[in-house]
Amino acid sequence: MTATSHASRNPRLVTLPSLPGLGGLYAKGVASSGRIAVTRSPVGRVLPGPRDLVLPDVVYRVDDVPTSGVTEHLTAYQRLIGERVCDTLPAGYLHVLAFPLATALMVRGDFPLPLLGLVHVSNAVSVHRPVGVGDVLEVRASAEHLRAHRRGVQVDLVTEVSTGGELAYRGVSTYLAKGFGLPPDEPPSRRIEEAPREEFVPPLPTARWELGSGTGRAYGAISGDRNPIHTSVLGAKAFGFPRTIAHGMYTAARALAEVGAARGDAYDWTVEFEKPVLLPGTVQVAITRVPDGAPHPGGFAYVGWHGRSGKRHFSGAVTPR
Amino acid sequence: MAIPKAPQTTTPTADEQPVTRPERTPTSSPAPRDAYVLGGNRIPFARAGGKYTGASNQDMFTAALEGLVARYGLQGERLGEVVGGAVLKHSRDFNLVRESVLGSSLSPQTPAFDLQQACATGLEAVVTVSNKIRLGQIESGVAGGSDTVSDAPIAVSEGLRKALLKASHAKSLGARLKALASIRPGDLAPSTPSTGEPRTGLSMGEHQAITTAEWGVGREAQDEVALNSHLNLSAAWKAGFFDDLVTPFRGLTQDQNMRADSSAEKLASLKPVFGTHLTPSAPVHGAAAGSGAPGPTMTAGNSTPLTDGASVVLLGSREWAAEHDLPVLARVVDAESAAVDFVHGHEGLLMAPAHAVPRLLARNGLTLEDFDFYEIHEAFASTVLTTLAAWEDDDYCRTELGLDGAFGSIDRSRLNVNGSSLAAGHPFAATGGRIVATAAKLVAQRASETGRPARALISICAAGGLGLAAILESADVPTAPSATTAATTTES
Repeated sequence: MTATSHASRNPRLVTLPSLPGLGGLYAKGVASSGRIAVTRSPVGRVLPGPRDLVLPDVVYRVDDVPTSGVTEHLTAYQRLIGERVCDTLPAGYLHVLAFPLATALMVRGDFPLPLLGLVHVSNAVSVHRPVGVGDVLEVRASAEHLRAHRRGVQVDLVTEVSTGGELAYRGVSTYLAKGFGLPPDEPPSRRIEEAPREEFVPPLPTARWELGSGTGRAYGAISGDRNPIHTSVLGAKAFGFPRTIAHGMYTAARALAEVGAARGDAYDWTVEFEKPVLLPGTVQVAITRVPDGAPHPGGFAYVGWHGRSGKRHFSGAVTPR
Repeated sequence: MAIPKAPQTTTPTADEQPVTRPERTPTSSPAPRDAYVLGGNRIPFARAGGKYTGASNQDMFTAALEGLVARYGLQGERLGEVVGGAVLKHSRDFNLVRESVLGSSLSPQTPAFDLQQACATGLEAVVTVSNKIRLGQIESGVAGGSDTVSDAPIAVSEGLRKALLKASHAKSLGARLKALASIRPGDLAPSTPSTGEPRTGLSMGEHQAITTAEWGVGREAQDEVALNSHLNLSAAWKAGFFDDLVTPFRGLTQDQNMRADSSAEKLASLKPVFGTHLTPSAPVHGAAAGSGAPGPTMTAGNSTPLTDGASVVLLGSREWAAEHDLPVLARVVDAESAAVDFVHGHEGLLMAPAHAVPRLLARNGLTLEDFDFYEIHEAFASTVLTTLAAWEDDDYCRTELGLDGAFGSIDRSRLNVNGSSLAAGHPFAATGGRIVATAAKLVAQRASETGRPARALISICAAGGLGLAAILESADVPTAPSATTAATTTES
């Protein structure tokens, strides 16, 4: 996928000395979210001006990220997610590793959308080759493809991990900023409407996840993503949720883990998030081999839903490359 | 693994003659020979939290073993091997079976080892011991299993366990205190064993409810299997069938779960307990495929209850049996294990026996109709019914089992004729021994009545998508054509 928005073909490459910590970024994100909210008040109204919704034309890069010391942290991640404990970094772990660099982009003063309140709507990852403990990584992050959505605007945060000068991992995290809009004269490339989703009929489950109230805190501690909607009931209530909600990437990573060794060394892993999973909660899950003739043949499709209401929480696919 | 270095050798001098060992004749034939079921013994099965509360796996296994020793006069006898296990097992029970042997009247020189294959543990022990006998490695052995849910081990939480391990490995008092200080109140909640599948989080009942829905097995058919189990078991008890197969224990003389007065009405009045969260969907397999979507059908009445108990089976070569003046009930003909991919819903958790049995019968040149008795473990009534439905389904047998068409049907009057797990209960590892002893006695009785060989098919499903099937054949009548001859005929 290439950037189709107004980003230039030669973005400025900014090299950071090391991967930033998420804690400090959150403080910064909260501050800049407040600033964006103030300048855009009242919420939902788009102020005129071409500078409003332009993505920063930079690519963040960190060279020589060592992984020789991650074993204990990796094991903790693998245990939490249900991944096999081994020296290969699963795609979900690479997402966790690269996520702070993408966050650093989103808290820049010129990033046009507020970090808090951004909704992670989908994620698409390609693992081109396995990354192992001891590999030295180059991590890049950029923001691309700002486009209109019926509920606001969407943006892709793209992270890439390379080893030995070759791309090993590429992740595209799509976020929705509700209440933001693009001017009506925007070119069609920025007005992408998704096809309406068909009605969901729950299949027979293959698994059930009993997620305790501490699920968000546990994944927050491992991933560094301690967004209050996941870790604190008060924080969740502040954003309109009755209780804390599970990290979407925790649910997607668990589905990836449950596909198991059949995914191979190189694979594509996608997820679309719908109704958040309230904690504590039970998720009905179906992870099934894709039949021949369907999209993603040879792979696995997965879906998670709420048992009683039948509402879909997430769905996606894991396809060997 | 390091290979120990060979000892230094010195060249023998002229006057050091190499020692010549006396010629020995092998004491057993190197060629495979037959292994036989000579008898069995179990304690009555108790409902969870019932008569056996406080009795451990070892207590129960020892009681079953000691009853066997008494019945067959094996006091002081050095058997070839005692093999068994338990599914819910405490880490201190690492040598459960050896400890039981030491607590019995068998010779303390009787070796033993533990094995475990979930609900197939007992039958797998029978297969293992009979294989050792067949290879001439041992002349006699005992196979069995024991399980208690009333005395199940309770583990500490992962957080507490990690903190305690860290503290015990700590080199200084400070480090030890730091490790202990990391314990949180939530870590103090114990972690109890569950019947849930580790990879899916679904209990066995919920898994079977999915399989039941896929095959469209109805409520009435399931209740009928349950009712027959109770009626058959109580009739067998009344007829004295278990008199030489069971030793009373802790005041229990019969299986506690058995309901001689059960009725279709009583079973129909029970509420479904499994599959209640499933979205009703039309069956995808079997005769009911594509028809209406039934609601939940699995109740406490047509599902096995949690139970405590133990069982053992005495096995031996024909020569050993003759030397000890013991009866020979049945020959262990062959066994086959199978496993299915249930994790991604390709197959039902408990459907592995449906795969094992056709392979087993093909190898032995037999068809499904060639049996006098079918012992299909009743994990749930619907497990029996989905297995039978699978064998009758043309499409399933072709695509899943690789057969030319439907595997076949069985005469239902030959199924679990003396009751099975729904009525007797199912102390996981003890079920195999119960079934093998019952089936061996049934074929021996039938053969002596008719003068013709009688054959029993045993099938047991197990957690983890496992299944194990075995064939027993009556011992003391002219045997059927040998397995190899029959197999050759089929292949030609």
